[in-house]
Amino acid sequence: MAATRPPWRLRLQARLRPRRRLRVLRPGAFVIVGTFALGLATLNTGNNLLYLLMGALLGTIALSGWLSEQALRGVRVERHVPRAATAGEPVHVLYTVSNRKSRLPSHGLEVREQWPGATPSFVAALEPGETIRTRSVLMHARRGVHPLEGVVLGTSFPFGLFAKERDVRLAGVLVVWPRTDRRLRAVRLGGRRGRRQDTGSGSAPAAHRGDYRATREYRPGDDPRDIHWRSTARRGEPVLREYERDAAEEYWIVLDTAAPDDVVAEAAVDTAASLVAAATARGDRFGLAAGTSRLPPGSGHGRAEAALDILAAVRMGGGRLLPPAPAARCVLVTARPAVPGGWGDVFRVDGDHAAIDAAEVAT
Amino acid sequence: VTRLHARLAALLALLALLTFITGAGLDAPSVIPAGALLLIAIFVQPGERAARLLEPLWRVVALLLALRAGLAVFLDRGDPVLPMVDLLLLLLCAESLRRRDGSGDARHFALTFALLIAAAAYRPGPLFGVLFMAYVIVATLTLVVGQLSRQSLNRGLPPPPPRAAFLARVAALGIVVIATSTFVFLFFPRVTQAWAIRSSPLPASAVMGFSDRVSIGEHGASIEPNPQVVLRVEFPDGVPASTGSLYWRGRSYNRFDGRTWSRVDRTATPSTDAQRWPGSIVEQTIYARQLAAANVVFGLHPIVSVASQSRTRTFRGASDDFLYVGETDPIYRIRSRPERPHPDSLRQVEMRYTPEVMAHLQLPPMSARLRALADSFRVASSNIFDQSSAIEQWLHTFGYTLDLPDSPAEATLDHFIFQRRAGHCEYFSTAMAVLLRAGGVPARNVNGFLGGEWNEFGGFLTVTQNHAHSWVEVWFPGWGWVPFDPTPPGAVSGGVSARGLLSLRLLFTGLEHRWGKWVLDYDLGTQTELFRRTVGSLTPRARRPAASEGDASLVRLLVVVALLMVVAGALLRSARAFGRGGRSAATREYLRLRRAYQRSGLPPARALPPLQFVAAIEDVPGAAYARRAVELYVRARFGARPLTRIEVQVLHESVAAALRELRRGRRQG
Repeated sequence: MAATRPPWRLRLQARLRPRRRLRVLRPGAFVIVGTFALGLATLNTGNNLLYLLMGALLGTIALSGWLSEQALRGVRVERHVPRAATAGEPVHVLYTVSNRKSRLPSHGLEVREQWPGATPSFVAALEPGETIRTRSVLMHARRGVHPLEGVVLGTSFPFGLFAKERDVRLAGVLVVWPRTDRRLRAVRLGGRRGRRQDTGSGSAPAAHRGDYRATREYRPGDDPRDIHWRSTARRGEPVLREYERDAAEEYWIVLDTAAPDDVVAEAAVDTAASLVAAATARGDRFGLAAGTSRLPPGSGHGRAEAALDILAAVRMGGGRLLPPAPAARCVLVTARPAVPGGWGDVFRVDGDHAAIDAAEVAT
Repeated sequence: VTRLHARLAALLALLALLTFITGAGLDAPSVIPAGALLLIAIFVQPGERAARLLEPLWRVVALLLALRAGLAVFLDRGDPVLPMVDLLLLLLCAESLRRRDGSGDARHFALTFALLIAAAAYRPGPLFGVLFMAYVIVATLTLVVGQLSRQSLNRGLPPPPPRAAFLARVAALGIVVIATSTFVFLFFPRVTQAWAIRSSPLPASAVMGFSDRVSIGEHGASIEPNPQVVLRVEFPDGVPASTGSLYWRGRSYNRFDGRTWSRVDRTATPSTDAQRWPGSIVEQTIYARQLAAANVVFGLHPIVSVASQSRTRTFRGASDDFLYVGETDPIYRIRSRPERPHPDSLRQVEMRYTPEVMAHLQLPPMSARLRALADSFRVASSNIFDQSSAIEQWLHTFGYTLDLPDSPAEATLDHFIFQRRAGHCEYFSTAMAVLLRAGGVPARNVNGFLGGEWNEFGGFLTVTQNHAHSWVEVWFPGWGWVPFDPTPPGAVSGGVSARGLLSLRLLFTGLEHRWGKWVLDYDLGTQTELFRRTVGSLTPRARRPAASEGDASLVRLLVVVALLMVVAGALLRSARAFGRGGRSAATREYLRLRRAYQRSGLPPARALPPLQFVAAIEDVPGAAYARRAVELYVRARFGARPLTRIEVQVLHESVAAALRELRRGRRQG
């Protein structure tokens, strides 16, 4: 899937950023100004004890610089990003922080994502050779595939006068799925209500799916319960069973990428994602067409994840609207005020309902 | 941790207060209550409710104290320092009793540091140095513990537990700050002239001591001893043989009105030709206290040259007297030739009466019997020296007493010579000067100090107010003013010193002297000298001039710095050994367990492997806990990974529980 590339200005900024940075915090500013003032007083008066006191302040500043450098040196950070997150919900990112120094401990370490509103994780003490797991929370995640550039390892140890920071280059991607919790009516293909809308979650048992029809190769996202183990063993690669009713009842969820503005566009994506979630919960076989991406029909949670991945990455805005299968077997999610007939079902998203949670507009 | 932090903060405030006291003493009325409050705050911190109730009280008192400080500055035009200190102390107490937060910590630190600056404005003793070091270490601990616990609490995490290893490590960091401070102190160029430190000059009081007058009029009391140190004298080129009989000459007086000597300064007063005097030059470096009586430079007579080393300026006044200007304690280097010319040379001197010399024959109206006595000495001697010596010797037969005469009638020269025949040095010198003048010999009264105590610890002579003395100078044409001391020998010096604590006092005076010399009065001169010696000590021994006392003190200083470094290093290393993962902590805990069981006589064999040790103590109290601890220890010692922090904690608690059970078992029989 294609990750969104940050704009060139941000990339240049990141490249020009010094690897180590020192920020003066408020108490630090006071100490520096105080040291200057005391230095002036000392020079002016020549009072020897003031030299001693000024020396103590200078020593405190020097010690701050040295210790903060020691705290950051030799510290290794590994990041563990969750498989995916949902838009608008906090994302917990885990880190493994280890001190590879042989002698000196590190104190007061902070691991911060370069993510607006991220709460940094904090490690109070890390002895030499010790490894600690910690986590940070990213808030207000927007749908998309976000490249994670690296983390900032910082400390204000020992006195909280200065904040020293170092960039830790860590490549990573955070996939943020659209929301799937929009309340929608059930799908009605050709005016009929979806047949298994009241079935509980999970894939339907094989008995409801008619007779065994054929086998085909396993595709990512297929329900592992449909794997035909004997054929798999014979062929040496996973093979799936298909049932008669599967083909008869499968349908496509088609996301129309044309949208007047971002809010409506996101509402359309959320609607499509909620349809995916509902279909998975009912055990429907569904395919997904969004922009240029196609996901062939299938069922199960793996299929849902693949669909949500596509929806996370889909770029809204324009494009031609072509049904991937006979239009009667397609459920269209669109923001257009009018679409040609023939679609199996249409979920229309408009500006009035976009910001509210349910976009239930029946044709 | 927050409780530890609050205690450390209170301790820091108390240390700052004590440091202030070393400079300013107990002058500020709030010092004692503030000290008591801070001492209580170390042990008892008010709860949240009590702290809230105290808050308005602090504000009201702070407002009152601020008003008082304002009044002192703008209306009374008085000394603003003490009212400001009262206010500062109140704010510090309030801050120490508040809940600790980030800005509070910064305020608290600023207030304690302000107290240190206030202390530096005085002239604190060497205790300042000790307290300063303690302050730096406690400040480092307070700031680090505060910062870590605050950061943890802000993120909803429990603050890290205060482990001894960590605290030791942070204390070692404090030593690094002290080392930096010492470095800055030693090497920061002293390019500016110093201000006057707030030192109060020693008062001219009714007690024994130097005053700028010689009088025999007082009566009805006795002179109290006064052990205040006035001069500290170093002899850079070698110590004279008898330091106890050196005359530290101060001022001379040429006019006597019957009761009091005074000075009529004449530009044409003849002065001593020190170049002619025999004997070698004795060099003295004198660290003097400022005296309220007069800005006099004390030195051995006759003075060849004086060079000021402190922020004062010395100059030659009339009548061989040297004076200085400046508002601080003077330090000066004097070169003198104190060896008196040989009696035979003095006997050959012919008196020539010039008008300037005649001025030293002035006398008040005096009794006939006194005049007759003076004549008897004149007739008996063929020259001035013999005449002076005869009077000196005769007066040596008198008694010495610090008791003053009972009534004004008895406080006269006649009564001293003919009836009482006992008195203090001013009676003797006055009697001799008057008898000489009446006999036609120009003479004058001088005062200063006689002798001093040699301080073995510091290698210098301490002269106290107890050594104040008065004697006579006689004019010998061609030589100048030659001193005579008619006071019976052995009467003055040492008679009033506290013998029991002498060595302790010498030690403290020695410390104080070094503190003054190397810290309070450290200047560009000392600094360049230090550089020179450092460079000198790096050059090969053969090319170096003989080592002096200064080299030794430099070496001692370096040794002290090196020791400090070693202490910091050892602390860091031990802290590291404490803190390194689970392994060494586990071993330590295991050994603690073993030792405790061995002290109870269990197990019988000393060198059992850990698991057999557990088997051996199976029926002993605490065995279950001990087994868990030993299992953890074995895992830490021989397992693939070190113990986690929680496991180390469990190990620690298991050992503690095992030992508790063991003790309980032992008590029960």
